[in-house]
Amino acid sequence: MYDAVRIRRYLRRMDFVSAGAMIILIVVGVLFVYSASYRSADQPVSPFYRRQIVWGLLGLGLFLWLIVSDYRGARDIAWWFYAVCMVLLVAVLITGKRVYGAYRWLNIFGLQLQPSEPAKLATIIALARYLGRPGLRVSEWRTVLTGLALVLLPAVLIIREPDLGTAAVFLPVGLVMMYVAGVPVRIIGFILLAGLLLMPLAWLELDDYQKERILVFFDPARDPLGAGWNKMQSQIAVGSGGLFGKGYLRGTQNVLGFLPRSVAPTDFIYSVIAEETGFVGSVILMGLFAALLTGCVRAALAAPDRFGRLVAVGVAMLIFSHVFVNIAMTVGLLPITGLPLPLISYGGSFMLSVMVALGLTQSIYARRRIR
Amino acid sequence: MNDLRYRWRMRFLSAAVIAALAGLSVRLVFLHLGPNEALRRKIVKTRRVERRLRGGRGRIFDRRGEIMALDVAVKNVCADPKLLHESGSLQAVALRLARLLEMEPAVLLARLDLPRRRFAYVKRHVPPEVGEMIRRMKLQGVFFQDDVARYYPHDQLMCHVVGFVNMERVGSAGVEQKLDRYLKGTPGLLVSERDGRRRELYDRRTVEVPASAGADVYLTLDVELQYMVEKALDEAVSENAAKGAWAIVERVRTGEILAMASRPAFNPNEFRKSDPESMRNRAIAYVYEPGSTFKLAVIAAALNEGLVTADEVIDCENGVWMYRGRPLRDYHAHGRLSVADVLKKSSNIGAAKIALRLGPERLDRYLRAFGFGRRTGVGLPGEQAGILHPPRAWSALSITRIAMGHEVAVTALQMLEMACAIANGGYLMRPYVVRRVVDWRGRELMAAEPRVVARPIREATADLMRRLMVRVTEPGGTGWRAALAGYRVAGKTGTAQKPVRGGYSRTADVASFVGFLPAEDPELGIIVVVDEPQPRHTGGAVAAPVFRKIAEQAVRYLDIRSPGGRGGGLETDT
Repeated sequence: MYDAVRIRRYLRRMDFVSAGAMIILIVVGVLFVYSASYRSADQPVSPFYRRQIVWGLLGLGLFLWLIVSDYRGARDIAWWFYAVCMVLLVAVLITGKRVYGAYRWLNIFGLQLQPSEPAKLATIIALARYLGRPGLRVSEWRTVLTGLALVLLPAVLIIREPDLGTAAVFLPVGLVMMYVAGVPVRIIGFILLAGLLLMPLAWLELDDYQKERILVFFDPARDPLGAGWNKMQSQIAVGSGGLFGKGYLRGTQNVLGFLPRSVAPTDFIYSVIAEETGFVGSVILMGLFAALLTGCVRAALAAPDRFGRLVAVGVAMLIFSHVFVNIAMTVGLLPITGLPLPLISYGGSFMLSVMVALGLTQSIYARRRIR
Repeated sequence: MNDLRYRWRMRFLSAAVIAALAGLSVRLVFLHLGPNEALRRKIVKTRRVERRLRGGRGRIFDRRGEIMALDVAVKNVCADPKLLHESGSLQAVALRLARLLEMEPAVLLARLDLPRRRFAYVKRHVPPEVGEMIRRMKLQGVFFQDDVARYYPHDQLMCHVVGFVNMERVGSAGVEQKLDRYLKGTPGLLVSERDGRRRELYDRRTVEVPASAGADVYLTLDVELQYMVEKALDEAVSENAAKGAWAIVERVRTGEILAMASRPAFNPNEFRKSDPESMRNRAIAYVYEPGSTFKLAVIAAALNEGLVTADEVIDCENGVWMYRGRPLRDYHAHGRLSVADVLKKSSNIGAAKIALRLGPERLDRYLRAFGFGRRTGVGLPGEQAGILHPPRAWSALSITRIAMGHEVAVTALQMLEMACAIANGGYLMRPYVVRRVVDWRGRELMAAEPRVVARPIREATADLMRRLMVRVTEPGGTGWRAALAGYRVAGKTGTAQKPVRGGYSRTADVASFVGFLPAEDPELGIIVVVDEPQPRHTGGAVAAPVFRKIAEQAVRYLDIRSPGGRGGGLETDT
């Protein structure tokens, strides 16, 4: 099945621009995870960056394997994958490891797994399979509600952890996939309106710290040393970068620990990059993500079937949401939510999920109809 | 779903994504390239650490090298009120600390009941061993600062001269205040950066100028002599139920102050608990009408001008003399007295008549030459100049009043300087309490030299005055209680009713004795002033015995011999 000819054929047909952007982003990620853990020349750097290299290589393996194997295999296991992820999400609520006040990690054979990451992928695949079914009547309420249920189930489970940011990503991804699948605009508009009306209710359900974060977003001076600290400091970090930045490993906000060490390599890595490489670095980073997204869109347009098209769109939306929310929060445009920057932020679960997602889109692109 | 609609939707989506990313980029442009000078300054400001490094404060020694003031290492006990509040241990911690630190629990509780604050002092300047005891209790939210505190090993002794430093370590009284710029040393400067946890980053220090320790100050005072003087004053205060008492011992030839004491006194180690009244150095800051001791200056002036001779007889009007329609009285009625006896018996009428011969202008000139009406410049804060009005402000009666030490106000130090000028062949010296200042490298920053301020009278006059003053302490003189076996003592008593509204008090007096010894070759000048003694109230009865007590111990301690082997204070000469 995996004979050399076949391997060569599909690998040759992959989207090299997108793949190149991906590789560069991973390298940048490793470099800045190192920088984010760096203090001074005579102090040991925490081993985060080395683990990140391992995750990157592992992800690359999966990525290449997925290109060669047919993405339609994912459709076949869609329901199983989805079910397993839901079980894991329930399990994490019961036996999960508590980190910073939330149950997000699951310990499996000594490996720390964050089930919400594969759950994103599973939901995309499951929804794509459901919406991609031939002869599905996308204008019917029943179809829309089923699709919505597929999205809301993991979202609600993740809210329980609680991890509001991650849960929130499911909605734009799901809605966009439905939109692309042909669900009428009025239905999507109705769902959005309903969601908006439910917002005040959701507010009541929020924990105090979550409310605090949102209030601080609107008024950072409210608690500059507590909840507002990260936001202020990350804004200072980005702003102090200037045009060309302070230079690699020279970002004082980060090196001096003004940006808390616990979040610098993960959620706030962008501020490290922005401080050290400046506006130029920021723009290049945006360009790399744009190239990555373009690759996904290209795959969606070239997809040989509805399933592939929807998966590609879902993946694009997933990556876009993360990039947008992460950077927007770092520069103070959105409240602080713990969303990592794809391929850059430190973290194995998310790295592997994103690599698998990109592998799938490449696999779709590689099987495009050649005119 | 048709392909066309799908493609349109994809385009719309892409456009939306591009728009979103573009919006983000605009924000990035503003953040990165916008006018973020304020932001930059803010970073630099929050990072920057600029700390003054305190050098140790110099020590204060007495003339023999006894330490009067020094720095000791102490702990400041601090707390995190917010943490205590949130952990609910506030009450318990406050109680335990209060017991250990001997504080009022309610006071401490009130000080720590600040739920939003992260820092509060529990108690500053706690001895290290007490700090260690608290540390071993391992109380959460309680921590320590290293600090230095000023310590005065002799407590109350010499308190007014040595002074004290306030909690900010600024000299606030006495030599500590006057010589603060020498004692405090040069603070160092540290400019550095700190990290997010406010810890200083050693490798980012840009400026580091170490502090240099303050210089040591050597006083002219002698702690042993000081102790004798203070003890004598304490006895005087209790024996005479006095409001206060003060005394100064000075080396006649140089103006060095060997002892200076004032009652009531305070403990500089606990200056915050002390009554401000007790902090006044009355020897230089209490201005009083001197009474008869002032006659010394008047008679010395008249003798110096050749207007009278010592044997000239003056009619003392049997105790009451009407001058310009007002009676002037003597304490004891006298008929005719020689000038020498006017001094010995302290006749007001005699002194007034002598002053009249001088006239206001001349008298004023002499008094100012003796240093009245201006500060002596002894080098202590709070010194008063006293009051000596210019002659044009005098009334017709003033000259007779001034002659007996009223209508003028002086400090004890001024009186002593005048007496010492007589003792010193007519040379008025500048008194001083600081001998030298030596920095930590041993370099002398300041060395006091004896300095002649003025020469109000000739040597011959001074010699004559000395002989006249010896008669005061002889039998029949007002100051006989100041006489000292084996020495000739020259001196003068003074008893002045205190001025009250509209006249003079009948019950409140200032009793004083000023003098020097040995009279033939004076070494020590001493003044004793007792404020409102009861029931005895005259300088002869109250102050002269204190003078004798001090002089007796001083000559023995300083090994001052009477010239001519053993003279007798009881032998007459004139």
